[in-house]
Amino acid sequence: MSDRLTLEELAALMKSGAGITVDPAELASRPDARFDEYGLDSLGLLGIVGELENRRGRSLPTDADRCQTPREFLDLVNNSLMTGA
Amino acid sequence: MSRTHPPRTAVITGIGVVAPNGTGAEAFWKATQSGLSVLDRVTREGCQELPLWVAGEVHGFEAGASIEERYVVQTDRFSHFALAAADLALSDARFGRSEWESDPYSVGVVTAAGSGGGEFGQRELQRLWGQGPRFVGPYQSIAWFYAASTGQISIRHGFKGPCGVVASDEAGGLDAFAHAVRAIRQGSAAVLAGATEAPLAPYSIACQLGYEDLSARKEPDRAYRPFTSDACGFAPAEGGAMFVVEDEAAARRRGAPVRASLLGHAATFTGARQWERSADGLTHAIREALAEAGCAPEEIDVVFADALGTPAADAAEARAIAKALGRRGRTVPVTAPKTGTGRAYCAASVLDTAAAVLAMEHGLVPPTPNVFDVCHDLDVVTGTARPAELRTALVLSRGLMGSNSALVVRKAPADPSA
Repeated sequence: MSDRLTLEELAALMKSGAGITVDPAELASRPDARFDEYGLDSLGLLGIVGELENRRGRSLPTDADRCQTPREFLDLVNNSLMTGA
Repeated sequence: MSRTHPPRTAVITGIGVVAPNGTGAEAFWKATQSGLSVLDRVTREGCQELPLWVAGEVHGFEAGASIEERYVVQTDRFSHFALAAADLALSDARFGRSEWESDPYSVGVVTAAGSGGGEFGQRELQRLWGQGPRFVGPYQSIAWFYAASTGQISIRHGFKGPCGVVASDEAGGLDAFAHAVRAIRQGSAAVLAGATEAPLAPYSIACQLGYEDLSARKEPDRAYRPFTSDACGFAPAEGGAMFVVEDEAAARRRGAPVRASLLGHAATFTGARQWERSADGLTHAIREALAEAGCAPEEIDVVFADALGTPAADAAEARAIAKALGRRGRTVPVTAPKTGTGRAYCAASVLDTAAAVLAMEHGLVPPTPNVFDVCHDLDVVTGTARPAELRTALVLSRGLMGSNSALVVRKAPADPSA
């Protein structure tokens, strides 16, 4: 499923959209750490949601930008992409 | 509040400069006192087709060299300048985290800005019209805003004291100091104060093309020549400065380098492009600033002029200096080092304040580059720097939209307890 959001893509989006450098391996080892612990604020996550919607060509759930952690965000995005497929 | 303490004096303990003629107070002073002009043809991408030919660009500034990537990505160039200048000022003042972390509410931030984040805003607006609203990044909501630099400085360092942004035209640079002084008098220990601008991007330049006082000359050494019969407007610039302003007693207690006192300030408003009227407004501002400072005209050792660069504006400023300072107005050295760097809007008077403090420390009035043939009854310092004992400086600023401000700065005496 190439459409699935991976930690690698999330890390790349955090870098390009908000200037946050984070190793995907760190996201994998601390998936329940809050985004703000990684330095990502709510505008940063909103930008990632917008960029993902543009890339995938579909809308994500309205509460996607309120996710607090990488795990929560990946679960929500990937469930939505699967059910929307 | 019913404080009965003696009035607190606000002093400058740190200066951070990012200017077309140098980054860091030392490099800036070296270029300023030498009379070097760095005005040159505009080279910024997308600007060369616009009918603004000469400006003062900050070359070789690498935002990422001094600030974290998140701030580089999330903010505009004018905030990059402010964040970098704030770092320089904090380190100049030796005002590290240990000085304030027990009371982050004791440190505030106040900046002035005129243009805001024009370059960032233009990029996002191009996405809006080129690709659609879904392609506009959310940081647009804060990066373009003229308040961005105050917010980002306070967030980055964790300063939680009184924060503010002055939007009062070019003169706002001096008004930012007045806000800092007020915060110090009301009990803050320190305020990061200053202004930076980055108006040399296509959209921002397009906004300035309607200013009739903008110079249209193509020769860098002729584009900005205030107080001469050749005065043809001003050349704009980018950059600016941030300062650490502290309560004098607190600064001395921590052994900080006390450099100058902010003694008096006043601001008036006389309407957009009413240069005739600005003579009265500026006169009034100077008188009120002197009164607050408890300073006689004879005590002013140097004037850093606004030097707008059109015949009417220059004549009005010369009249204001003569009227407010009386006989002293004919003999006081007047300088406008900004003729070598351009006029960075709100940041112009802030850079002048940096130059004033450095001039008093070095006992040298810096010259006014590209100006030789003064046609007003003022003792404008031209050519080379003039040695002089300088204890008190008067900094003047006017805005294209009608604000007039004056600031009195006095060299700090040696530590009385030392």
